[in-house]
Amino acid sequence: MTALRRRHRGLKTGVDRKGWSLRNYMALFTGVLIAVAALAGLAVRGQSEMDARQSASADAGFAAQRAATQLKAGFDIMQKISVPLAADPALATVYADPTKCGISYAPVGVFDTGHIDIVRLDGSIVCSSLKSASPGRSPVYQGQDWLQSSVPMSVGPTLDPLTGNQVVVFAYPVPGKGEIVWFLDLVPIGPKLESEFGSGVHQLEFLITTGDGRAVVARSIAPANWVGRKLSRSPFVTAPDTSRPDLNGTQRIYGHAPIPAASWQLYVGADQAAALSAADVSSNRDLAIILAGVAIMLVVVFIVYQRIAEPVRRLSNVMRGSTPGDAVTAVAGTGAVEVTALAEDFDKLMGTVKRELGERLRSEQAAVVSERNYRMLFEGHPQPMWLYDVKTLAFLQVNDAAVDRYGYSREEFLAMTIKDIRPAQDLPKFLELEALPLPAFDRSGPWRHLMKDGTVVEVLITSHTVVFGGHDARFVLAEDLSESQRLELELNQSRARAEASAELSRAKDEMVSMVSHELRTPLASIVGFAELLVTREVTPAKRTEYLRILLQEGRRLSALINDFLDLRRIEGGHMRMTFASADMTALIRRAIDVMSAGGGIGIETRLPDILPLVRVDADSIFRVVANLLSNARKYSPNGGSIVVSAAVVKGMLEVTVDDEGLGIPSDALNRVFDRFYRVDTDDRRGIKGTGLGLAISKNIVEAHGGKIAAQSRGVGKGSRFQFTIPLARDRAQTGDVLVVEDDSGFAHLLEAELAGRGLTTIWAADAETAERLMTQTMARAVVLDLLLPGLSGEDFLERLRATHGNVIPVVIVTLKDLNATQSLALQKLGVIAVLQKGAGIAETAANLISKSLMSEVMAS
Amino acid sequence: MRTTTPPQLQVLRTVVIADDESSMRLLVHATIESDEYRVVEASDGTEAWALVQKLRPSLVLLDVQMPGQSGLEVLKLIKDDPSLASTRVILLTAKAQETDIESGLIAGADFYLTKPFSPLDLLTRVEEALEL
Repeated sequence: MTALRRRHRGLKTGVDRKGWSLRNYMALFTGVLIAVAALAGLAVRGQSEMDARQSASADAGFAAQRAATQLKAGFDIMQKISVPLAADPALATVYADPTKCGISYAPVGVFDTGHIDIVRLDGSIVCSSLKSASPGRSPVYQGQDWLQSSVPMSVGPTLDPLTGNQVVVFAYPVPGKGEIVWFLDLVPIGPKLESEFGSGVHQLEFLITTGDGRAVVARSIAPANWVGRKLSRSPFVTAPDTSRPDLNGTQRIYGHAPIPAASWQLYVGADQAAALSAADVSSNRDLAIILAGVAIMLVVVFIVYQRIAEPVRRLSNVMRGSTPGDAVTAVAGTGAVEVTALAEDFDKLMGTVKRELGERLRSEQAAVVSERNYRMLFEGHPQPMWLYDVKTLAFLQVNDAAVDRYGYSREEFLAMTIKDIRPAQDLPKFLELEALPLPAFDRSGPWRHLMKDGTVVEVLITSHTVVFGGHDARFVLAEDLSESQRLELELNQSRARAEASAELSRAKDEMVSMVSHELRTPLASIVGFAELLVTREVTPAKRTEYLRILLQEGRRLSALINDFLDLRRIEGGHMRMTFASADMTALIRRAIDVMSAGGGIGIETRLPDILPLVRVDADSIFRVVANLLSNARKYSPNGGSIVVSAAVVKGMLEVTVDDEGLGIPSDALNRVFDRFYRVDTDDRRGIKGTGLGLAISKNIVEAHGGKIAAQSRGVGKGSRFQFTIPLARDRAQTGDVLVVEDDSGFAHLLEAELAGRGLTTIWAADAETAERLMTQTMARAVVLDLLLPGLSGEDFLERLRATHGNVIPVVIVTLKDLNATQSLALQKLGVIAVLQKGAGIAETAANLISKSLMSEVMAS
Repeated sequence: MRTTTPPQLQVLRTVVIADDESSMRLLVHATIESDEYRVVEASDGTEAWALVQKLRPSLVLLDVQMPGQSGLEVLKLIKDDPSLASTRVILLTAKAQETDIESGLIAGADFYLTKPFSPLDLLTRVEEALEL
């Protein structure tokens, strides 16, 4: 409970979380909403003003086009009337007799008022539509620009000499007689244009100027004053269709059209203020809609906040230290259905968490008590007990009784595996059993256990599977056998032995039959050919051939018998194997050297620079490697590469021999290790062999606690043979004296002699291994043989002196006959003595070493 | 018009030797070699049976333990074929157990020799078999 509260406080103080509260998000949303609405308002306003301007401009332009068309139509009518009239011969009659003239003015286009006169060359009127202008000889129009013009021309605005009105004059010449002249009143056409084209919202104003910028029509501004006046500032002339002030300063948007017949320009101005005020109305309506939308959104946001965010915030506050029920109260009535449901779920969760926390606390306390009880039971139990890791077989815990009984300290135990308390000869059987799945509970025995002092005791094992510190482990109780248990077990064993011996005898029968067959085949050749040689006269060539077969079959028989006897020795456990640390690289290289002496296919190696030392009987493992290499070559009649590689795999050294030869059919893969089994296909019928090599290899590897296996992708696709052997343990590699000696018998003799003088020994069967051991151990003296496989004793000595100096005393014990030079060379390398192997020589060597080490101690 | 006379036909009897060991084939061949019969070698049972069918020999010397078809299987094939009724069979084996000898004789072999055998004995058996 206190832990839980502490955690809650931790939560409360730790509110410096990154990120925003819901309230902040609401405020941000509101701000963004208003900003977007404002932007939309501005856009609506700008757009509606632009629309209004465009509409006004279009309206003005359209009105200008229509008005210009109307004016042009008027001018065209005048032309149509005047040109034929001027050419009409009847007109001459009128000139001759003015009384015969009768003419009237009809409106021409927009020109409702004006008059038409027929004028003589001197400017006097012949005939006029104006009743007040009585025709006569007085030259009324003398000095006018248009008088006596030989081409049609228009003049204006100008003052009508007759009426005094502002007019535009169109004169059409009557050749040799005078002119037909139209006087069109300008003042009324402003209102006329406005009434015809200027209706609508835009309050159009019409303005017509001459090509040189004088006003022809100025609708609204005292037309009589403006007509004919030169416009001092005339932006209309240079840039129509834009917005600018009109003659009396009102801002207008202009449209424009030219009237070429009179060289006039027509401008139509729409009142900008009127146009924009209409636009304002529509944009104000849009803005009102936007504002209403924003208001509705704000209301919705507020409601959401009230119903969800606020209750969630309250719920969150409550969660930091509530008891069940608080959460529901906090959001009751105000929250959305989902929030209320969340509060209820939270309450349920709180209840469960509190209950489970309490239970766990109780069970943890119980576990502590049971752990203490178990520990007391384990530590204080009078029988040896331990825990070991099922995968690595390493000891994980041992009790005091185990330390007392087995003689190893607790630290030593924890550096060992359960393999190390088995006698070496039991190892293969032990590993075989260990590979099988163990029952959850097991009681079995008797097992032979090895004490530190070397004694072997028989024990009964009770074990069961446990999980310890995350490992799959096994809990073991080892009891010394009681008398009754021993008797019972012996009875069981003798029964099992009887069964096994029956099985053995069957196997032996089979073996005898098999061996007799294998021996009889070469024997038949030997006896047969020998008899032929004895009983018949044969040619020298045949004689040689028969003798060759005799020799070959005799050798085959001999190899067969040797292999067979070896196999029997290994299988029966009679082969004496002496395990010692060895350098696998050296073993492999030596085997390749021996093979290469026979020539043939080269053998390639793929070995790491440094392989850990292995614990092997060097001669046996050498034999395995040599056998695999010899097979690889034998079964590669067409060549192909042979590769030897080695690597540490799962705590074992794995050696692999690959070839590209004949391969192995898949059904034969697991039989190639059987005695006398030979793959029988046409491609290998000529290849000789005893059929025992792989059986021997398998036995040797298994005696080391390793495994051997064959692989092949099929006939003709090469083979791969792999075997594993255990690595040497560091623990085994300490000793006072390093014995470098390939004869294990002599090495043991030396070991015994040195042990009698209180010195421990490490043994290397070759110089390569010895070199490796010298770098790892603190050996103080060396007994060295000279005739070693691989690197010679002399070479080793030279390297030793190079790396370790002259401090380490060395005694040479060898069969080699040395001449004076060789002896001298050895003396120079600082050896204490060179001894010839013979009876009692181990004792002599041990004495020399012992004395040398003693004097060293005295000196220091 | 014929200008040459056909060569004098001599009826040579054929003997087939079947053994997977080349040294054994050589031994048997050297032992029984004679101008009176032609000797043909087979290195396994299947080859032996093919040669027997093709050459219809007077005598077959069969090793019992051969890869492919064993000597006993070839023997049974010969005995089951009525057209080979005159073919004699001698079995050669490395096995020396009575059951083997019995099964060989029951299957109809004329003689049975156990390795190692005496070449002189073999020759005697061969001559006996061919006279049968």
